[in-house]
Order: sequence, then C-alpha cells, then structure tokens
Amino acid sequence: MRILLVGAGAVGARAARQLVEAGDVEEVFVSDLDAARRAAVVQATGDKATDVGNDREVEADAVLLAGPVGSHAAEAARHVAAGRTVVSTSDSISDVQALLDLDGAARERSVALVVGAAFSPGYSCVLARHAAAGFDEVAEVHIARSGTGGPACARHHHASLTGRGLDWRDGEWQRRPAGSGRELCWFPDPIGAEDCYRAELPDALLLQPLFSGASRVTARLAATRRDRLSAHLPMLRKPHPEGLVGAVRVEVRGRRNGQTEVRVLGALDRPAVAAGAVAALATRWAVDGRLPPGAQGLGALAEPVPFLVALATVGIKAAVFEGGS
Amino acid sequence: MALFRRAVVAVGVASIVATVLRLRGSGGTPPQYGGWRELSGPDLE
Repeated sequence: MRILLVGAGAVGARAARQLVEAGDVEEVFVSDLDAARRAAVVQATGDKATDVGNDREVEADAVLLAGPVGSHAAEAARHVAAGRTVVSTSDSISDVQALLDLDGAARERSVALVVGAAFSPGYSCVLARHAAAGFDEVAEVHIARSGTGGPACARHHHASLTGRGLDWRDGEWQRRPAGSGRELCWFPDPIGAEDCYRAELPDALLLQPLFSGASRVTARLAATRRDRLSAHLPMLRKPHPEGLVGAVRVEVRGRRNGQTEVRVLGALDRPAVAAGAVAALATRWAVDGRLPPGAQGLGALAEPVPFLVALATVGIKAAVFEGGS
Repeated sequence: MALFRRAVVAVGVASIVATVLRLRGSGGTPPQYGGWRELSGPDLE
C-alpha cells in the first residue's frame, strides 16, 4: 500500500517511521509546508519515503493527516471525495465534529475515515472498548490524559485550557469552562497522581456513540497550577521539541453480573511516539478493510484486542490498575 | 475619587480571593493500595 503523510512534525515523523517498517507499506509520500522538516523525515526513514513537497494529490491508497489542528476536515473532505481512506490525528473538538459530519460522504464512497487516531483520543478509545468488555451495562466512561506530543500539540494543550470542555451527562451535551472540574487522577508510574481538569478535548464526542446507554462520558486534562493561571497568556516557556513522557487513563464504571464494577486501564509513553504508532497502525488497518466504511473513532474497531496486541509489539503497552481507596 | 478607590480595592481583593480559590487544594484522595500491572496473557484474549 502507498500512504500520503500530511504533516512531518513530531507525530508525523513517528508515524512515518512505523509505516516504512511495515512489510505491507510500499511507499510513504511525505508532505509538509516546511521543507527542512520534510527532508529530515525522509532522510531518517529511508528508501520507502519520498518527499512530495506540498503536493497533496499524489496517488495513494490512504492519507494520514498529522499536521496542526484546524485544517483536517477540509483536507479529509477532498480525499474522501476522491475515494481515499483518511486517518486524522487531530484532537480539536471542531476538527473532530467536522470530520464526523463527513460520515455520509465516506459511506457513499465506501471508505473509512478514522477520526482522532492518536494517543488520546485514539488509543484511549480502544482502551475504553477493552475496559468495557464483559460489562452488562456501562454507566460511565472517564478519560484523563497527561503530557503533550510535539510543540504544536503543546500549544493546543495550552489553548485547550481556556475554552469549554465537552462532556456527556444525563442524556445531553454539556459545555463547561475549561480549567474547572478538578479531579485527582492516578496515572501509570512514574507519573502517578495528577490533578486533571475539563479542557477542550474531543474524546467524549467519539466515545458517546459507542456507549449510548452511559449517563456520563467525560474527558480531563492533567494541568499544573501554573498551566491554569497562565492559560489565557501566551506560553511562558518554549515547548519541548519532542514532548516528554505522558499517559492516558480510562475509567469505565458499570454493572457486571448484577454487581457494580469499576475498571481502570492506562498506558504510559511519549505521546508523540504513541500517537505516531497508533496512527500508522490505524492507517494500515483501514486500508486492509479492518475498519468499517464511514467516519468514526478507533473505538469502532470490531475487536480492540488485536489492535492492542499489535501496538504492544512496538512497545505501546496497556496496563490495568488494581487497587482502590 | 474615594468611591473609585474603594471599587479598585474591592476588585483587587476579589481577584486575589478568586486566584487563591482557583489554585489551592487538590482534586481528591489518591488510592490507598494497589498499583498498575501490564496487561498480558488472559487480559488480552
């Protein structure tokens, strides 16, 4: 298969690495506005990668959108209309909503449009599906994430604390101020406990259709006091070029065999590395027809376990929290 | 002028109180026992 990669930042570079190492990928076309970044990715990934400048119309089986948030929907619409499989890593609510609105067009063309295929959303949605397996009834799904990928992700993370969070509560969507709703979340070690807050995160938008009986579907972002105090200001420090260690945490509450049960799954990794691996695998699976036609998140996978197993082979490993208060 | 000064002081005090309320405290109690275990074998069937 031949893949067009749009965006050669921290996530795009990791995705390119994963794609060229896959036996079923013949060629990866790397497109980015920044020539130096494009060239660096092509040079680092070897013969299978080709620099196509800013050309977005090369003949490819699938398009992986890993560029900055805000432009994914228009780009995806063009590729879906051309009958190409599209995978987006955007974690912007407006991008995700606009991409989900392309469901009809994707179904009409019988192509998969995978929305939010990154660490969170993305891996978090697959974990939520796996955590909910065996429940007779799912009542609540709560996602929390810590850390950022590359500089673009860090800037988006910073801005997301100033908008309005999106939660599903008692049968309706609720928009509440970002930075509110503090909750102490316990991430895999060595991150441990971090205060998490509402933020402009799209996870609930992708998960609610999968858990239509749930009364609450929420997403929280780990932030420090300084993050909250300075959220309305420009970033005080230059973001880390590659991001540091981050984590996702998924808590599913429901009933099994008449008993109330809580299952907590999580994962720890550098968010850009994990997001790149998830996006690359989602792209290959989408081209292989392992994801149904239409616009949906990775939670729509028929079987989440093989996806988790495939990611574990490249080092992205899930964990379960066993304990309590 | 006195009224203006009082208003400025009131807004300043309210801002300080709001900042303290926004930043202080923690969001809950951490788990008292247990820990994370990597998923493997039967967890992934």
